Amino acid sequence: MTDRLRAAFGGSFVSSVAIGAAAILVLLGVWEVLLRFFEVPIWLVPKPSDFLARLYTDRVLIAGHALWTSLTIVEGFVLGVVIAVPLALAIISVGTLERGFYPVIVFLNIMPKTVIGPILIVWFGIGPLVAALIVFLMCFFPILVDSMSGFRLVDRRLFYISRSMGADPWQTFWKVRLPAAMPHIFSGMKIGVVKAVEGVIIAEFIASNKGLGFMIMRASGFMDMTLMFSGLVAAAIVALIFNGTMSMLGQWLMPWATRH
Amino acid sequence: MTPAGTAIQQDGGLPRVEEGARSIGASIRAKGLTKVFGSGPNAFHALGPIDLDIKPGEFVSIIGPSGCGKSTTMLLVTGLEPMSAGTVEIDGNRLTSPISEIGIVFQDHLLLDFRTAIKNVMLQQEIRGLDKSALRTQADELFGRLGLKGAENRYPWQLSGGMRQRVSIARALVHNPSMLLMDEPFGALDAITRTQIRHDLEMLWLETRKTVLFITHSIEEAVGLSDRVLVMSKSPGTIVEEIVIDLPRPRPAHLGEYPEFSKYAERIYSIFEKLGVYKF
Repeated sequence: MTDRLRAAFGGSFVSSVAIGAAAILVLLGVWEVLLRFFEVPIWLVPKPSDFLARLYTDRVLIAGHALWTSLTIVEGFVLGVVIAVPLALAIISVGTLERGFYPVIVFLNIMPKTVIGPILIVWFGIGPLVAALIVFLMCFFPILVDSMSGFRLVDRRLFYISRSMGADPWQTFWKVRLPAAMPHIFSGMKIGVVKAVEGVIIAEFIASNKGLGFMIMRASGFMDMTLMFSGLVAAAIVALIFNGTMSMLGQWLMPWATRH
Repeated sequence: MTPAGTAIQQDGGLPRVEEGARSIGASIRAKGLTKVFGSGPNAFHALGPIDLDIKPGEFVSIIGPSGCGKSTTMLLVTGLEPMSAGTVEIDGNRLTSPISEIGIVFQDHLLLDFRTAIKNVMLQQEIRGLDKSALRTQADELFGRLGLKGAENRYPWQLSGGMRQRVSIARALVHNPSMLLMDEPFGALDAITRTQIRHDLEMLWLETRKTVLFITHSIEEAVGLSDRVLVMSKSPGTIVEEIVIDLPRPRPAHLGEYPEFSKYAERIYSIFEKLGVYKF
């Protein structure tokens, strides 16, 4: 277990974080100096000192919205996993289902998900639920497609082995097929989280009355540039936490998948 | 489950069978075994008809060019793949559904990445619902025998290719099956590892005397391990020659130096040349 933890938090990870942080600090410093030098007004572009201070003074407001955004991501993502993984298995297991579903999946996949927003608003009203449903749609397809290939790519000979053990279909699924497909399912989930994090802000722009997207949109209405930039930073932090958690989870659970 | 240590001595003419070694191996008898993939004009006659008569505790290799149906033969005699025609009898009982008194090893280790070495082996116990402590004792013994001591709690990715294949062999044997089926089990290993693991398998087999059906494309492995080698030809796969390997056991590492070995190897080469497998 300690080996795995060390692999997940290895030296390369720490050093890359340090280098990244240094680069961000330099960028913010240049930004601050340039804006002070040219005396750019705050309503046009705020200085890092302005919006970072705002991030602190309005921390309760921003954290509240960030929490809603996070909750929306989690809801949409969990719903995506819960529906996509069993559906992938069903589609793979039944040949006709696969042929029938394929065009539908391709169509839904290429369709921009946000167009469903206005329809969902009519059905459910403006609120975090609609944002969560849009997030669900965004992360659903990568999870479905990767789970399907995961279940399909399980080595046939593994089923010979499980059958030679006298396994029933239930045991074969839980003890052999699902674990064997897990790396693929997980990589789908990883892409799903990236999509969810990208999509959640847009979903909140158009369809919610809570969350960072909504907060930024409202600040835009008031020309509150500083709060918009603070919201941007908060959204980036939320994205970093989700994506980072996902890849660390991957390295921890499946160290062989990332080893060279 | 027929005790047959002596029967092998007579039929195979093998010296140095340990006194009182009793086989728990099963007999395999196949008649007119045929496999046709597809149907109608697109049907592909892959295999047969072939007959097999493998005695309890016998080590039989099937050797042939790739795509000749060696692996299919192995799957048919266990019922893991349905046959198109023919009959199979295991210990005299007609085969109607897949049998589970077997252990299988393929060319790839096919271990589950999320399980440690020992848990991969204990999958047999979990699925079969066998007694945990008894199987664990058996697994520990096999780990010791196969040079896997200390690797119990390692994950497959932490093991070398040879070690992984040893774990895979332990998984195939832990439940003490009457039949061991191996489909090019050393094909993915380097030459040094292959020679060692071949010897370890031979020693293990000498003690347990399970019936082994060994699929290979390596003449050295076939002659180095088997009581009998069946040479197969291609499309449709049929057995063209049967060669009894009358060499003492355990067989040495450097088989090439022994004229008896060369004699057998030459014979298989010449059959391959006659079949057009080799064109020189």
